[in-house]
Amino acid sequence: MVDLQLRKVSKKYRIRRDADSNGSILGKLLSLRKRREDFWALRDVSFEVQRAEALGIIGHNGAGKSTILKLLSRITTPTTGDIMINGRLSALIEVGSGFHPELTGRENVYLNGSILGMTRREINKKLDSIVEFAELRQFIDTPVKRYSSGMYVRLGFSIAAHLDPDVLLLDEVLAVGDASFQRKCIQRITELKKNGTTIVFISHDLRAVQQLCDRVILLKKGQIEADGDPAETIGLYQSLSGQLGGPGAGSWGRELTGEAVVTSLTFYDENDNECLTFETSKPMKAVLNYRVDKPLTDVIFEVQFYSQEGRLCSFFSSETLGRLIDVEPGEGSIVFDCSSVGLGPGMYFIDTGIRHRLAPYGIDIDWRRRCMAVRIDYDRHLRDTFYMPYICRHSPPPDKTECLPQQGTKSTKTYKQLV
Amino acid sequence: MSDARPIRFIRPVSFSPFDIVRGLRELWQYRDLFLTLTVHRIKVRYKQSVLGLAWAILQPLSLMLIYTVIFSVIAKVPSEGVPYSVFAYAALLPWTFFSSSLTNATQGLVSHSQLVTKVYFAREILPLTYVSAALFDFAVATSFLIALFFYYGVHVTSYALYAIPILALLIALATACSLFLSAMQVKFRDIGVAMPLLLQLWMFSTPVVYPLSAVPQRYRGFYILNPLVGVIENFRRVVLQGVEPDYQSLAVSAIVAAILLPLTYLYFKRVEATMADVI
Repeated sequence: MVDLQLRKVSKKYRIRRDADSNGSILGKLLSLRKRREDFWALRDVSFEVQRAEALGIIGHNGAGKSTILKLLSRITTPTTGDIMINGRLSALIEVGSGFHPELTGRENVYLNGSILGMTRREINKKLDSIVEFAELRQFIDTPVKRYSSGMYVRLGFSIAAHLDPDVLLLDEVLAVGDASFQRKCIQRITELKKNGTTIVFISHDLRAVQQLCDRVILLKKGQIEADGDPAETIGLYQSLSGQLGGPGAGSWGRELTGEAVVTSLTFYDENDNECLTFETSKPMKAVLNYRVDKPLTDVIFEVQFYSQEGRLCSFFSSETLGRLIDVEPGEGSIVFDCSSVGLGPGMYFIDTGIRHRLAPYGIDIDWRRRCMAVRIDYDRHLRDTFYMPYICRHSPPPDKTECLPQQGTKSTKTYKQLV
Repeated sequence: MSDARPIRFIRPVSFSPFDIVRGLRELWQYRDLFLTLTVHRIKVRYKQSVLGLAWAILQPLSLMLIYTVIFSVIAKVPSEGVPYSVFAYAALLPWTFFSSSLTNATQGLVSHSQLVTKVYFAREILPLTYVSAALFDFAVATSFLIALFFYYGVHVTSYALYAIPILALLIALATACSLFLSAMQVKFRDIGVAMPLLLQLWMFSTPVVYPLSAVPQRYRGFYILNPLVGVIENFRRVVLQGVEPDYQSLAVSAIVAAILLPLTYLYFKRVEATMADVI
């Protein structure tokens, strides 16, 4: 039984280029048509989803994931091709966007519920359960403008979780609320899946995708790159990410000298097995091999970690060695040994660089941009953004007699002595 | 929900008259949302306002006072033998409904861009609920018209029953204009900026502050092409003056509404398909 079918679906967007904003009005009117560029967010994408199957869709930002989401939820229409949906489809996308701050929680349940496609009668029936799930019984008649952001999110998810769809679209919604509420959400989704709901899960969170999905599609530049077993597809995604880069140009348009090059970079886990997936707080080791053509003095080797959004999150640098590295022609390697990974969950793209320590324009010898990708998975050590290594000790309460000063004067004396 | 699973096809934008039927069927499925949103509009408008519902009356009332001073005390505009204030109010009542429908509905889609880009529902509901909320205000403001009738001792005749089809026409016209303008506003924000001016021009080219009979005969054929002429003038005639409506202008309004409504709906549905990409 096919619940969802895409046949040669393409979606074209028009991108406006605002060439000159200070031109005359006439010029603006004349160029209204001209300054548009076509961009194909999806190109001839076809796939089917069987009933009760959980399909994951992964890919880089801009690969077309959210376009698929928008098409399936009917927010926009395809440029060519068609989509067949068998059953009632609900999307769990950015919950709470339909809330009105002046209305009470109860009124918003009705408003949001009917926006999401529930009938009044359905909402009447489910109201108690929705409020219970959101843990908002006391506050249900308070205007939502007085809600905390956590309450807001809980109510939004709770409404959406009560839709009972035949086909469920999931976005990054699982990353909302506190840990206990998140668990509740995942439990609810697993429940739906068990009851035969077809699920399409679109996410960056590869671990969640692997846990939840029976099949994964990898999108690349608006086309299907791979379609199949979750572990395999996710693995392919990670290795593909490594092909993004290759030798790049120098920073600020400077030529790289290429006198030394990185020949390979390998990551190892705590057991010295080659590995690309790590967990926060666990050890990670990176070995960078290089080849040098002519003697160089005072160079630095770097491994940089970039987030999906392209932000530099962390790096390993040989500068921390505290002494100059002079290299002779030949090969060598640098080892970065990290005792506990501090990065949060997600994909990280790796740049490697070799530069003179005092190079004025940054990396000047060799730079491999986005040459690899490592994945950091969720771990109980990290609930939010940062991980701080620590050791937890539990000390039993000290003996009371020791703790209390026996006499006021004495304790003052001790204090004075201390000073 | 029924057990039968609905099968839906999502296809590229087409432009066929059949879309109207499909659209209306879907609109019917979303009737609960329509009701909830209408109630919501009314509630939100009067929440945290001291005067509350009185605003529905105050708006046409204050206009009535201003126009009475200008057009009755200062300039002597004819009012068909009826006290000018009630003459003006009887026309301001349907006009206020029309203009506030348009003003709010035009912003309806853009002000809900958050929703439009996140969830699907029959989008015409957004502008339409502003029309229905304005209709509620209309009903409230009517109570003041009745009070005026008592005060001035106006005799209501059986011609007042014509008010029902006239009102239906007015709603149809307001709906058509709202659909069109709200969809245009998505692409061209100029519409929203131009609205106050447009409405002012429209009001003065409609017999609100003066009677139709004040328009010179030779211009009248052209004048009644404005579909609101037949609606506003005749509403006042049958309700206040208690005389037969002017069938000619009424027929023009009906024809224009019959053409505009399906056309604007089709246009709206066409814009709706890719609305989320441009809003």
